[in-house]
Amino acid sequence: MAECNIHIAVIEPSHILFEGLSNILLKGNPHGRILRFDSLEELKDYRHRDNVEVIIINPAIIMGDPNVLSSSKKLFQKAQWVGLISSLVGDTFLRLFDAIIQITDTPESINNTIAKVTEEDCICSDPAADELSNREKEVLIELVNGLSNKEIADKLHISKHTVISHRKNISQKAGIKSLAGLTIYAITQNIISIEDIQAGS
Amino acid sequence: MYLTQKTYIREQMKLAGLLFENPYLMLMMQHFGINFVVQDKSVEQVCKENHINKEIFIAFANLYNGFKELDATRFSVSDIHSIIDFLKNSHHYYKEEKYPEIKNLIQDIVKINNTPEIKLIERFFDEYFNEVIDHLKYEDEVAFPYFIELTKSGGQSQKVDYSARTYRDHHTDIETKIMELKKLLLKHIPLHHDRILRRRLIISLFELEYDLTIHYTIEEDLLIPLIDHFEKTPDRG
Repeated sequence: MAECNIHIAVIEPSHILFEGLSNILLKGNPHGRILRFDSLEELKDYRHRDNVEVIIINPAIIMGDPNVLSSSKKLFQKAQWVGLISSLVGDTFLRLFDAIIQITDTPESINNTIAKVTEEDCICSDPAADELSNREKEVLIELVNGLSNKEIADKLHISKHTVISHRKNISQKAGIKSLAGLTIYAITQNIISIEDIQAGS
Repeated sequence: MYLTQKTYIREQMKLAGLLFENPYLMLMMQHFGINFVVQDKSVEQVCKENHINKEIFIAFANLYNGFKELDATRFSVSDIHSIIDFLKNSHHYYKEEKYPEIKNLIQDIVKINNTPEIKLIERFFDEYFNEVIDHLKYEDEVAFPYFIELTKSGGQSQKVDYSARTYRDHHTDIETKIMELKKLLLKHIPLHHDRILRRRLIISLFELEYDLTIHYTIEEDLLIPLIDHFEKTPDRG
């Protein structure tokens, strides 16, 4: 299943700055959520921290210690770090960030900055992303009929490895792994009919 | 976009305020076996009155609020009992309250939406429910008693063939199928006179999944490491 829910963590002690920034982000990016944290420690404890894709942080929080930033970056390798700059910050420090937002930036440029760092992540505008290909449908039919990977490979003249990769894609697109679940899914998608199931069982 | 962040819970906060923000904390309190009408008391006071380690209470409450800060090294063997009590109470809630509620909703839906898809959903759920019962029974009758015995005997259990590792190997997640049910009912199977019941069923599944996810996290990331550590260094705690 395509995952487009971009999590943006904001670590900014000033309420005014946080509220203002989140209002701008809410208008700009329709897919995702904004999470507020008081400190880096809180963010590290966040249960879904692996989902966090963008971390906007005021360097004042970790000022004087670029090491804190460097070591935190290792913990969140997937995330893009964006500095929210409201005061004078040294160049060497700024270079540690993937992008920078200045408090004097316009809403458009702020949203452009966020769009740039999350560029490749959003595929939800593609309606076909969750649709099964014809080959995947064929594999699904045989799966539901109870055939093993090997049997499906022989029947469709493809390698076992290819069958496994199709299965993976099917489960990902349908969001369903179990055979019982996939059977119901196949019926609702008109890939098989209920009579096929009853005849088989 | 939307703001979903809940409060990061600390001991001096008023518990009632936190319950208004996240009502599922009432369920957590039920798992702790305590009353949720707490007037103006702080988290710390409620814990003290109910003889609950506030560290555990706050760590679990923060799990319900979306923060994972389960550090097994901060807890000791004396906490194992209260963690197991919490998990057992959760089992009771699943078996006696939540699963029957879902089962009833599905049966009610079958009455008005007698399509093959819904019949298959009922079968899917029944099979899954039996798996869950087995899973819970195993923990209640095998794993938990072993852990309790272990704490009583100072880390020297008679059952040499059992350990936290055995438990971990045996520990399967029971929430994946809930996710599949949600997906089928919410995204794929067309409505057929069952709109209101369907909504109630789906919301009920969301609630169950939410609690099960936390339950699983507590077992995997707190209970198992704690027992594991205790087996290796029994004098701790």
